Formats: sequence, structure tokens, C-alpha cells
Amino acid sequence: MKNLYYVVKKCVGCKTCELACAVAHSESDDLSKALKEKRVARPLVRVYGVSGKDYPVTCRHCKDPKCVAACMAKALTRDVKTGMVLHDEDRCVGCWMCVMVCPYGAIRPNHKIKLPLRCDRCKDKDQPACVKACPTKAILWEEEPEPKK
Amino acid sequence: MKHVVIIGNSAAGIAAAESIRQIDKTSKITILSDEGYEAYCRCLLSYYLAGEVDEEKIPYRPKSFYKENNFDLLLNKKVVSVEPEKNRIVLEDKSSVGYDSLLIATGASPKFPKGVKGLQQKGVFGLRTLKDAKDIVALLSSSGSVCVLGAGLVGLRVAHALSKRKLKVTVVVKSKQVLSQMLDARAASLVQKKLESNGIEFIMGADAVEVLGGAQVKGIKLDSGKEVPCSLVIVGKGVSANMDLVKDSKVKCADGILTDKFLQSSIPGIYAAGDVCENFDLTIGKTAVNALWPIAIEQGKIAGSRIAGASEAYDGSMGMNSIEFFGLPVISLGVYDIKGASVSLEELETFDENKGMYKKLILKDGKMIGAIMVGDIRASGLLLSLIRNKVDVAPFKDKLLLEDFSYPHIAGKTNEKEQMYV
Amino acid sequence: MSKRNFPGDPATKEMRSVAEDLSIETIWDRELKQQPHCGFGTLGICCKNCNLGPCRIDPFGEGAKCGVCGADADVIAARNLVRHIAAGSACHNDHGREIIKTLHLVGTGKAQGYKINDPEKLERLAKEYGLETSNKDSIKLAQELALRLFKEYGQQDGEIVLPKRAPQKQFDIWRKNNLMPRGIDREVTEALARTNMGVDNDYQSLMMHGMRVALSDGWGGSMIASDLSDILFGSPEPLRAKANLGVLKEDQVNIIVHGHVPILSDAIATASADPAMLKLAKEKGAAGINLAGVCCTALEVLSRKGVNVAGNFLQQELVLVTGAVELLIVDLQCIMPSLPDVAACFHTKVVSTNPRAHFPGSIYVEFHEEKGMEIARKIVTMAIENFPNRDKARVCIPKESRDMVGGFSTEYIFKMLGGNYRSTYRPLNDGIIAGRIRGVAGVVGCDNPKQNSGDSHVALVKELIKHDVLVVQTGCAATACAKAGLLTPEAAFQYAGKGLQEICEAVGMPPVLHLGPCVDNSRILTACCEMVKEGGIGKSLDELPVAGVAPEWMSEKAIAIGWYFVASGALVVFGTPFPVHGSPNMTKFVTQDVEAITGGKWAFEPDPIQMARVVIEHMDRKRQALKLKPMMYQ
Repeated sequence: MKNLYYVVKKCVGCKTCELACAVAHSESDDLSKALKEKRVARPLVRVYGVSGKDYPVTCRHCKDPKCVAACMAKALTRDVKTGMVLHDEDRCVGCWMCVMVCPYGAIRPNHKIKLPLRCDRCKDKDQPACVKACPTKAILWEEEPEPKK
Repeated sequence: MKHVVIIGNSAAGIAAAESIRQIDKTSKITILSDEGYEAYCRCLLSYYLAGEVDEEKIPYRPKSFYKENNFDLLLNKKVVSVEPEKNRIVLEDKSSVGYDSLLIATGASPKFPKGVKGLQQKGVFGLRTLKDAKDIVALLSSSGSVCVLGAGLVGLRVAHALSKRKLKVTVVVKSKQVLSQMLDARAASLVQKKLESNGIEFIMGADAVEVLGGAQVKGIKLDSGKEVPCSLVIVGKGVSANMDLVKDSKVKCADGILTDKFLQSSIPGIYAAGDVCENFDLTIGKTAVNALWPIAIEQGKIAGSRIAGASEAYDGSMGMNSIEFFGLPVISLGVYDIKGASVSLEELETFDENKGMYKKLILKDGKMIGAIMVGDIRASGLLLSLIRNKVDVAPFKDKLLLEDFSYPHIAGKTNEKEQMYV
Repeated sequence: MSKRNFPGDPATKEMRSVAEDLSIETIWDRELKQQPHCGFGTLGICCKNCNLGPCRIDPFGEGAKCGVCGADADVIAARNLVRHIAAGSACHNDHGREIIKTLHLVGTGKAQGYKINDPEKLERLAKEYGLETSNKDSIKLAQELALRLFKEYGQQDGEIVLPKRAPQKQFDIWRKNNLMPRGIDREVTEALARTNMGVDNDYQSLMMHGMRVALSDGWGGSMIASDLSDILFGSPEPLRAKANLGVLKEDQVNIIVHGHVPILSDAIATASADPAMLKLAKEKGAAGINLAGVCCTALEVLSRKGVNVAGNFLQQELVLVTGAVELLIVDLQCIMPSLPDVAACFHTKVVSTNPRAHFPGSIYVEFHEEKGMEIARKIVTMAIENFPNRDKARVCIPKESRDMVGGFSTEYIFKMLGGNYRSTYRPLNDGIIAGRIRGVAGVVGCDNPKQNSGDSHVALVKELIKHDVLVVQTGCAATACAKAGLLTPEAAFQYAGKGLQEICEAVGMPPVLHLGPCVDNSRILTACCEMVKEGGIGKSLDELPVAGVAPEWMSEKAIAIGWYFVASGALVVFGTPFPVHGSPNMTKFVTQDVEAITGGKWAFEPDPIQMARVVIEHMDRKRQALKLKPMMYQ
């Protein structure tokens, strides 16, 4: 299974990944147009600067996801085959339980549309848009290492 | 063949059944419910009431769920007593069911205060079950106004939902503030203002003494003598654990059924989980009932895996909740008010009345034990993690309230197994 | 050669494959490595004007709404845009300054190899500037005019002269809105000062000044540059030439001029035709000297001397990849810093000449008009002497080149339409009034890998002429269409709508007119003025059924040009937007609000066919407002 990794020393905090992410999740897939869409797409990844270093923060797609357990509307589920935590917008009521329990702060509320903002690893694309976008190649899209025994 | 009996078919019961099946594919598992529906998302009832969620989205599991997992589901079966010495439970119809392991996940029921007359009338409801919700919805077309007794979580959710249905809503609150079980006065006033600005009326410091009417609700009478006309009354004065079934047994109870770190009651083989269960509270340092969906799931999982022979322990729960009214999100974690605290606690807060933004953190000996977030709830998951992991936040406590407080600030300090950053 | 599906003309496709096979990095490779471009930059909402920052605005509204100083997206986008305009205008105005300097040197007898080629135009211009022209020889007049023009560059107050050429209504709009440039250098300088941290913090006020800067270019520096170039190097007249890489010759010394200012390219053209030079070339084994050009300086010598165009902006590296170029000589603007690296793969020498523009890896030979011919001969000699170093085995010249007609000017259009004896724009205006011609579109600007490397020009122009829109072109856009064969009278029969075809046939002109390099966009302004003067199609430029389009723009100069057209009342369409979309207010200002002030406005549309639609609909609206007849052949 492939996962996202971040090379912190390469991240310069340019937030290109944020913009690429929002565009990839817009209707038009075009930056200028994305800002004018009725439902403006928002970045699912956020880059935070902490003590001189920059860290992109996204959903980890945890193996034992607290958000899935907390989801009272059954909108969040974990697909065992792909290892992805999936979100069903139709079922979601925007109760923010997932925001409350995510230990990574990787789920943000989008109050405008009452849906959580959470990385879906660009599930419809070959690779997440942020990986392609990163100008310093600080975002890696690689097979997860075998768990240490 | 081992027989596991689970009383209760909601969050804790289902989580336990699933967790048993993950380990143990063969044991017989019987799930009993006194309701007439397969498991559903109880927390969606207020959204259903508001007309925001259709009935088809209410089910918690697919139709095939029970069959696929080989669960025997018995609906409309009320269990009246547990007989530990005979390893059996007795149902309302006097029949009994034997068990090897028993999980009590019976949840809780709305409290109907004894001092109020006329609560038995048609048109007076609590909101706990799908049936309650459906009964209320059935009356909506003939109702123009509603009185909600109590400004707890359920009370306000119903008030919010019915105002969305264009009913005139009046909330009668005995205490000085709303949500006194999860918010301090300032956060409560922000919530109340939000609700008031959306047309919900509050009568504070008053209590209902009588529901007026006969065949049909006509209004309520307050302790001040004032009468408030309405055609529907919702009682939201809190809930009490459904533990009547063990009152004649030796199962120890307080506000709920007391359980140990494996969710086992004082009687071996009998477990409890969910809203009926009282367990260690991480933030107040003693036992408490923390009735919340995610906690019920957690407890159900632990209890189930223990029943199936695993030894994962539960470190306890804590009070927490997330609500949103008319676009104002509110999260409360653990200890939310330092009033009356016996030890010295530290408070950190930021407040912007214009933006409707309020955050407060409560620290004890340099560790967080609670938080309230109103308006901006983005960092709540991180704060919860700091509370649960008892992280010493003193070195970075100036960062906790920053707008961009984020995971990198606490990376390595909690017990999350982190491998994303290389 | 591998089969790769590159956009662009056939020669470009071929040479890109060659470059790839030789592992020579070109603009297209670099473009790929820059993907995706920085979104904050694209949206115009990053500011690095001071050390409080650099700052960025979160376009999605969750993060920062203001920079550290408090500037919001509107101010940041406006400041950035005004700086782009200032930089673009500075280029044109500085170009103009160079030519005035040459005029002055001619006027003081110090220039070597330059003379007054069009004394009539000199006299006309001197009169416009209020100089006494009687009893003065052209040399004396040149000196006086040059000094007068230098004065206008340094002028602090009042108004510059050439906006008087505009229709009265336009002129009044500028005066009323404080848009009239007060001097040429002053507006650019003030733009830089205004956009400093903590100076002008009102996006509308910033944009008003931005337009004043642009007008100081279009009706100032650029217009002066074009007029003086005509005076010094001759007013263009239509002539046939060829365009594309196929103009390089295998058996000759190939010299390429590249850049923008005709002072250098004119001298090189003269020196290349020098018999002594030809003799030397033959001694070195070459059959002759083949001069060709790249970018706008190519179009300067094309319009006046019929020098072939080897390629446009995007092809500058590919010209070298042919392995057949002895020497590439550059002055300034649009010259890729990568050229010396590409040249280093071959025997090719790159010679830089302008003290403003240095290129590490090139040979620097500073050019002075005082020794113009001497230096030009020296450079041509270097080229010839380099011919024996050419590795013939590595030479790969594509066959592809197309015939074209270049060299139209505002003045020539008079003659062309009316004939030598009754020069007039009447037939053009009549054609528009009668509905044979829908309107006139300027399709100009650069070529850009972002927008299909020239293909969108061709698609757009075909679509426009098909709908009876007469197209005028300058710069690399013109070369792109020349390479597609659109700049020939024959193209009218192949591509033009029936109405336009009839006019082209009657006059014997192509449906697409080449007006020269991009600095000559000012010729489009004067041509529009003549149309208004001729009457019947509106009293000011904004009433005319005209539009400007730059489908593949890349340079800051294009932004300046676009703005002087918008400030002059035209609709201007860019393929990709300039960085402004991060500010909704600025976006609205440039695409809507500005129209109430100047009559012009911006539109952005990447698809060439849709772009044509925008232009056509605009023209139809203008035609309707003028109550013109419906199009004759719908």
C-alpha cells in the first residue's frame, strides 16, 4: 500500500501543495476558475511552520482510525483492501466528531458546506496532486515499509 | 458452543459484537433490543427531526449485517432482570435466555421529572429512540409551537431541529445557563445568543410545574405561575442509565453499572459498555458515566475483545462533545469549569466576542485536563490527544491557543506512532 | 528520430526531436520542470516588496487575509500588476530612448552608417512637436527633434505630445480621469514609488496610475520608437520574405540577429551585404552570407529590408540546434539566458552587444552608433571566420519555411486602400459599414509553451478571418501565423470569409496584415485613429469594432501593451490571465469596472476558438451600437 511521506528538511513552506490540492478537488481543475466556483474547493493538506521547520499535515489514514469510530452518521469508513479511510458526503451531517478525535488535527471543518476537509489521497488520480506539485520533492508517494518485527 | 448475550443493539452493543467476531468466528452471539429497529445512528435523530436527514440514512449497518456476521437479533425484547447465579436473563414475557458471557449495553433513557404534572399526555416526548422521533414528526404538521424543558444537549438539539421546521420554540431552563453539563457560563452565553438570534426563545431560571391540556397539549405552566402556550412539549432534562434490570442482582452500580479496566462489572462474566456503563474518568480522576457515541464504541470494542479472550485494557473515558448550532461549532473536552475545584487549576483563554470565538484550556500541574472551543474547533483533536496522553504542556503552553496550533507542535509528545515525517 | 507529438509548426516539432535526441535542454523541458507554477504567483497574491514579508494571501479564505503590513489581496495584486506594467513600459520607453540617441547622433554627425531615411516623416513629427521646420535640413531637424524628445522623457508636468493623435473624445477621457502621462520617465518611476510598502494602498488608485504608465508607453515611448525607426531606417512597405527555420542555408554563413532594437540589426544587415564581407565568406568556403532574424529585431529588418525570419521567441534555441549558425548576435529583451549553453553544444558563437544586457557565456562586443559599421563588420567577420569550424555532419536544417508578406504600416494602409493618388482609409471604413468586414482585431504578443507554442495564434486567426475579421499582427504572434502561411494574399481565398475575401481581392492584400515588431503595436493605435478620423464608425476608439488579443503572451511588455489598449478604449483578450485572480475586486476591476472609465476592458480565455467568439461578440455589440448594417455574408 502506498502512503504519503514528507521530507521535512526539504519542505520550504511554499504551500504549493495546498493550492494544488484545492485545485485537484475543484470542479474545473483550474486555479483561477476554482476560486469562482459555487462550492470553492479548499486545500485538504495544510502546511504548518513550527520552530523554523515546515510540516505538511494530512490525514494519515490510520489503521485504527478514531474518526471512523467516532462517526455517528457512518459517513466515515475504512476500506480494508486499500487501507483508505473513505468519507461519504451524502451521509455526513457535519457533527465534527471526527475533528474532535483526530489526534493529528488533520481534519478541519469546512463550515460553508458542513463537511470535513480530509485528505483523500486524490483517490481518482494516479498519485496525489501534492506529490506532483511539490517543487522541492519534499512529498513522497511510496510503498509503506513492512512493519518492523 | 459458547453463547454471548448482548443486551442493546446500538453503538456499544454492535461494536462489541463486531469485535468478538473479529477474534471468534464460531460462538453464538445473541443481540436483544427493546426497540423495533435494526441498529441505527441514534445521534442522527435530531437531524432527522430537523428534516435534514432521510430515514434511509438512519441505519447504522447494511441490511445483511446480522446474517453475514451470524448474529441472532431479537427485536422488541425487553430484558427485565439478570440472574447471575443462573447465568441467565429474564425477559418481560417471563421467558429466559442463558449466557456464558453477558454484555449490558442498554443505554439510557430521558429523565421525566416527577414534580411536573401532566407529563403522561399525548404530545409530550423525550428524544431517545427512532420511535420518539417518528412520533414527533407525525405531530409536526399540527403543531405551531413547542416548549422544550431543559437546555441540555438533547433539549437544545431538539430546539434547533424544530426551529428549522419553522416551529416557534421556547426553551425553559431552570439554571442560569444552557448546557451546564458541558460548558462554562461564557461559552454557554455564546451558544444561547446564537440560538436566540435564530428565533429560539429562552426562559431562564424557571421550571415547568404542569403541562396544560387534556387530549391535546395546550401549554405549560411555570413555577412563576406564567403560562406558555404550545402544542408540543419535549423533555430534555438529562438521561439516566437503563440499569433497572440489575437492581435486584449483586451487580454494583452508581450512576451507571460500575466496571473495571476490561469493562467487566463486579460480577465476573457480566460486562457493561456505553451509556449504561460507569468507568474511570481520565480528567476528573474518579468514576463517571460519559454518555457519548464514540465512547460507547470504544467501550464496546474493549468489552467485546475481552469477552473473546483478548486482554486489551481500557484506560478510561472522559466527558467530551461536539455540537453545532446555526453554524457555531462548539467542542467541550473533559473538565470545563474550574468553579468549585478543590485543587489549584490553571486557565488559559482567548475570547473575541465579535467573532464569536472563545477558547479556554484548563491545566492541572502543567497537564491539560479540559478545554472548551467555540467558533474555531480546528485544534480540538490535538488538545484531546494532549489530555488523553497526559502530556506535560508547560514547555509549549503559549502555543496552545495559537490559531495555527498544529500537530508538529506536539509531534513525538503523544503516543501516536508517527512515520510520515522523514 | 522518435515520434513525439509536440505542438507547434513542423520545423519546431522536428527540431525539438533533434534537441531531445541530443539531450539539449530547451524551454519546453524547463517548462515541464516548473510544473505546477506557483499558485500564489499565478494569482498575484504574493508580495515581496519589503522585508516584513515575503507575504501571501490565502486565496481560499482560511489563512492570512492580509500581509504583515496590512495589505490585502486587492492591494497586493494591484501593486504587483502596476510593477509589471512599469517594467513592460520601461522596456519600450528605453527602446525609444535608444533610438532618440541614434537620431541625435545622426543629427550631430557622429553616427557611423546611419542617415535620415524618411525626411518627410521627420518633418511631420517635428511639426507635431511644435518645432519650426522651414529652412532646416533634415540633419539639423533631427538634432532638434532628438533634444525635444529627450526633454519629453524628462518632463515633469503637463502632457506628452502624441496622445493628441487620438480622437478628441479619447483625449478628453484621459484628461478627465487624470490618465494623461505627464512625462515618459516620470510615470514609470512614480509607479515604482507608489507600489512601495506603505505608499498607495488603494487598488483603484494604483490601477489608474498603472494605466497612465501604459499610456506613456503606447502613446509615448513605443510610438516615438516606431516613428523614429521609420525616419532612420525607412518606413516599411510591403515585401515578400520567408519565415521559419528552413530559411537557414547549409552552404552559407548563417548569422542570426535576435532582440529588439533595429539600430544593431540594421547595421548588421548592411555589413552582411558588404562585398568585402562576401569575398571573405567565399574565401572561407561559404557560398555567401545568410542573415536571418529571431524575435522582434527580425521583424524590424524584415519590414524594411526583407530579411527572412528564422523563428519567433520559442524557436531561439532551436535555431542554434540546427548546428548551422555561425553567430547569433543579440541586443536586448526576450533573449533566453540559456542561449550560450545551447550554443556551446555547437561551434556557434553568441555575441552580446548592449551594456544593459549581459549574457554569461557570450562574447561581449559593445555596440556604439559612433562606430556602428566598424563594429558590425567586426562581428560579421567573426561569423565568417567561424564558418570553417562548423561540423557539417551535425547540421540539421528543417526544410520548412513559408512565404509571407510583411512591412505594412499605418501610412502604407492609406496607399494600399486608396492607391497612390487618393490615399484614404475610406475603403476599410466602408467595408466595415457595409458588413463585409466585421471589424479589426490585433492578434499580437509572444508565443508560450503554456498555450501550445504558437498553435493557438493560428487557430484563433483562422477563426477570426473566417468570420470576416481583418487581422493585424505584430511580433511573435505574426511570425506564428507567417509560419502557417496566413500572411499571404492567397490565404484570403483559403481561409477568409466571403466579405473579407472580396476586400482582400479588390485591394490585393492578405487577410492578415503584418505591422512589424511588438513595439509597433503603437501603429495599431494610429491606424485606429485614422479609422475614427475617416468617419462613420464611431467618434472614439472605444466605439470601433476592434479588439486586441494576445493568446500566448509571456512578457511584462505584453501587459503594458494590453493596458495601453484598454486605457485607449479597446477590449483586450489574454489567453491566460495576468496575475490578478487572487483578488476578486481586482478581477472585477480589470474585466468590468475599467470599462466605465476608459471604454476598454480585459477578458481572459485560453481556448482559441472561444477567444475568437469573445472578439466576434464584442465586435457585433459595437456594430449594433453604431447601428451598422448586419454582416453581408453571415
